[in-house]
Amino acid sequence: MSSIAATEALREEIPAAAPPAGDARATRTAFAFLGPSLVGVALFLVVPVIMVIFLSLVRWNLLTPMKWVGLSNYVNIFRYDKFGHSLVVTAYYVILNIPIQTVLALGMAMVLRSKRFGSGVVRIICVLPFLATPVAMAVVWNWFFAPTGIINQFLGHLGITGPAWLADQATAMPVVAFANIWQYAGYNMLFFLAGLQAIPLSMYEAASLDGATKVQQFRRVTLPLLRPTMLFVLVTGVIGSFQVFDTVFVMTGGGPGIATQVANLNIYNTAFAGFRIGEASAMSVVLFLVILVITVAQFRYFSKRTTYEIA
Amino acid sequence: MAAVTSVASTAAAPATAERATLWGKGVRITLFYLVLLVIAVIFIAPYLLSVFAAFKPLSAILSQSPLRPPLHPTLANFKTIFTQYDFGRYLANTLLVTVILTIGQVTFSMMGAFAFARMEFPGRDSLFWVYLMTLMVPNVVTMVPLYVLFSHSGLLNTYWAIFLPYVLGTPYAVFLMRQYFMTIPKEVMEAARLDGCSESRILWRIVVPISRPIIITATLLAFVFGWNNFLWPLIVTNSNSLNVLTVGISNFESNFGVQWNLVLAGALVALIPMVILFAVFQKHIVNSISLTGVNR
Repeated sequence: MSSIAATEALREEIPAAAPPAGDARATRTAFAFLGPSLVGVALFLVVPVIMVIFLSLVRWNLLTPMKWVGLSNYVNIFRYDKFGHSLVVTAYYVILNIPIQTVLALGMAMVLRSKRFGSGVVRIICVLPFLATPVAMAVVWNWFFAPTGIINQFLGHLGITGPAWLADQATAMPVVAFANIWQYAGYNMLFFLAGLQAIPLSMYEAASLDGATKVQQFRRVTLPLLRPTMLFVLVTGVIGSFQVFDTVFVMTGGGPGIATQVANLNIYNTAFAGFRIGEASAMSVVLFLVILVITVAQFRYFSKRTTYEIA
Repeated sequence: MAAVTSVASTAAAPATAERATLWGKGVRITLFYLVLLVIAVIFIAPYLLSVFAAFKPLSAILSQSPLRPPLHPTLANFKTIFTQYDFGRYLANTLLVTVILTIGQVTFSMMGAFAFARMEFPGRDSLFWVYLMTLMVPNVVTMVPLYVLFSHSGLLNTYWAIFLPYVLGTPYAVFLMRQYFMTIPKEVMEAARLDGCSESRILWRIVVPISRPIIITATLLAFVFGWNNFLWPLIVTNSNSLNVLTVGISNFESNFGVQWNLVLAGALVALIPMVILFAVFQKHIVNSISLTGVNR
């Protein structure tokens, strides 16, 4: 989740030399404290990561003996399981989701940072969806976007015949993206609010003394100084979006046809409906690599562009 | 700084008539409240309209405007899903699993964080590295192998399967609390040690009371995660009696999709406790989210 915070922590940790080997008793106590989480991390994170690579190289249905197949799973998932299509669909979802969500979050933060009466309450209201159970919300959206649902009733009053939203190839994915934007825009707004508050007022004073318009101030002061926040919001958002599952599963089930069969849903179907563990593992590895490359690219992009020093 | 001052620095804007500025101010305030209203409506309407619908019979949902509050609210929908269907069971399962998950995750992560922050032992920094590296592993990578592990240890279709991967502490919670514990002055603990305090007494009597904000944060995040978790319980359970709310709602909807009165009532069983949690802890939740943001 907070890989950025993590890397920053690493940076500050490196100089700390390895602690002197204390007496055995202190070490035993330390490992007693560390024990449970160490077992958890090893068993449920480290071991599975090693396993998934191995599993991606075998053919296996959990029952019959495994068969070593080398890299052929990696070919077959694209040839027979439409995993390429899944990746494209997932990317489409991310592209619908992230830019709108980020712009809305920033816009809301700009408005709600105001000290005027009422902004505090609305600020709180915006965060409420973050707690909303995605599966339950998906059900609510199914009702909203049903062919005779609220949205189409409303459009009907305006004399527009609404589409079948979730059953329509053109609108299904945008509706799913909308559900996620609704859920996380307010959450991300909080980070932008914190980021905005950290910008010294003197920056704006200096800029306006120089005759910078509001728009110029936004582009030259606000945006550059929000870069760390932007990186955090984008990286966490992109990592999460590439793994979208709950809303898609409940709202479209991957349909109509396979129009919204995102990568995670394809993995789920392959592993737990088809019990083809090898292919599902190969898909997981490929998705992981995609996420990794995009995350690294974002870090590169944001660190390349210079930031202002706040002295 | 240089770049900031370099923006177009032509003459200051000409003074405008006072009436015009007053007028402009009025427009700005009206616009501001209009935007506020739109935001509030967008975020509240889905809840409000579902509540309206869940207290109406199906016929009223289909014939009335969804904007109309139920004039004769009925609890029949909730009665149906709790008596004829298993939402009582789902709710109890969810509570049980979420509470165990939360208590375990917070306690064990706290202990791990304390060891990393304030104890000395060989291999500490490399182990912390391993924890940080695992932070970057997306869930989707571990899902299939974890399922294989659980199926081979005969744990599928048990309560254990639902919370076990999260109950022993997560690297994220360890990291979050460790960063906080690092800010507690070492001297406080040294003094306690000299007085003969055991490490666990130091943790529970000194560190925990000082670190309330971060512990509340970790608790809220764990609880919300446990409550909302869907994919993992969906994979590891396949009997109705073990279903948590999310899985129960999803199954129920695929069976009774158009009976909106029941389906929406079911969704609210999951949503309303979270709204209450939010109403009670709103300040903590807002602060918690901010705490998990960019560390400075």
